[in-house]
Amino acid sequence: MIEMRDVSVVYSGGVDALHHVNLRINDGDFAFVVGPSGAGKSTMIKLILKEINPSSGSIFVNGYNLNKLRRRRIPALRRTIGFVFQDFRLIPSMTVYENIAFVMRVIDAPPKYIKKRVSYVINLVGLSDKARNYPNELSGGEMQRVAIARALVNDPQLIIADEPTGNIDPEMSYEIVELLQSINEIGTTILMVTHEHNLVRQFGGRIININQGQIVFDEIVGGNLINES
Amino acid sequence: MRASGVRYLLGQGVENIWKNRMMAFASFCVLMISLLLVGISVLFFINITSMVGGLEDKNEVIIYLQEDTTDMEISDLYGQLSRMDNIAEVTFYSKEESFEDLKSSMSDYEMLFDSLGDDNPLIDAYRIRVADISRMDETLAQIGALEHIEHVRAPLDLVQILTELRRIITMVCGVIILALIIISIVIIANTTKASVFSRRAEIQIMKYVGATNAFIRFPFFVEGMITGLLAGVGALAVTWLGYDAMIDLLTQETTFMSIFGMTSIVPFEDAVMPVTIAYLGAGTLFGALGTVFAIRKHLNV
Repeated sequence: MIEMRDVSVVYSGGVDALHHVNLRINDGDFAFVVGPSGAGKSTMIKLILKEINPSSGSIFVNGYNLNKLRRRRIPALRRTIGFVFQDFRLIPSMTVYENIAFVMRVIDAPPKYIKKRVSYVINLVGLSDKARNYPNELSGGEMQRVAIARALVNDPQLIIADEPTGNIDPEMSYEIVELLQSINEIGTTILMVTHEHNLVRQFGGRIININQGQIVFDEIVGGNLINES
Repeated sequence: MRASGVRYLLGQGVENIWKNRMMAFASFCVLMISLLLVGISVLFFINITSMVGGLEDKNEVIIYLQEDTTDMEISDLYGQLSRMDNIAEVTFYSKEESFEDLKSSMSDYEMLFDSLGDDNPLIDAYRIRVADISRMDETLAQIGALEHIEHVRAPLDLVQILTELRRIITMVCGVIILALIIISIVIIANTTKASVFSRRAEIQIMKYVGATNAFIRFPFFVEGMITGLLAGVGALAVTWLGYDAMIDLLTQETTFMSIFGMTSIVPFEDAVMPVTIAYLGAGTLFGALGTVFAIRKHLNV
């Protein structure tokens, strides 16, 4: 669950990145965050990950009060969140399996459980035959699926996907959103940041539109794909 | 953390050296060269100091005794001189011995010495060697306070030159070594920064998935430590071989040996323990700390 109460962020240069934002995303929700460049989407993500602190207002994420969260407790917060980057950020020197397994080692999971769980998520994202491949041997869509598997492997309460379809072709983009939706169906909250309006229109659901640091639209809309199905 | 986790992090440290072998090799070379620069300068300083020490050891103060000094008093004086803490060596130089030496050094004037018959115009003396020539004035004052001393002849010019020489060498070498240490630290810091910078994405991913700073630092620490240790071993091997080759060359140089004496060169075997400890210790420390400091900036995510 994410809750922002009257949150504002003013950067040191005087840039007003977020302006009195109120937002609540419940457990199990799937929400698109849309808006033009510089609207405040990245700032919102940074706040949720406690990469930055708000200038005013309160933030609660997965039961943590971020205003009171000490620096050394940030890793504990982040272990409840899976993060998917636009540019995948896979470690080139690690295989698909190792890229996913290493985030479980971060939380000191037992080796047997790591083996079992990693195989499970690799299977879930449909890459069982690519487990021993290195990132440079994969397509953009496959790399993003590895990134999603990595975000999912520690069974987080929330997955934040920052422009996950930004670097892949449109056909593959649909597959990625479908994959995120299937993950959402098993109970994980998904927050997907994108500026691909076509994609959002196709899928529909909760859409949060940010512009100039303010939420200008927050509604559940029906998507073409959803309507069709 | 469970044992498998520690094993994993240790393994990662070792594995990372191979995975990032180009950067690891660059760090190894920079560390080894830095250690060599500082190590060779220190060894050079030790040897120069030892050579000056060799020249200082050749100092000789002659204490002429009063003519009426009895054998008993001469003997007492020997005891008193021997007990002085800055006197390394005391040798009695009798007037007979002195006379014989004079005659042999002036063999052309044999007639003159014959005319003296049994009369020996010279006086008994003590020859002493001072341990620390920088304390020469203090020692001469102590000798001057003793009884039955006619006068004292000390190589004050040599003392002054050598004391000044030692001061200049210490100062110059000190400045050079300090400068080399600072340069080395800057170079090591920049190389490790570059090495870590090339892996900043890896660090960032770890931070986003909830790795603690200690978890991220540990493999880098192991990696830096091993690279530093290997650089220390490399520097030790190069120094040892180079030093022995230099000694071989110098021992063939007879002029050098006649001035400074063989004992003024410190054999590597005498310095091997401190040099090994310094190289391996500094290599490991700089390697490990350099990497840990270099990743600090990237941990603020």
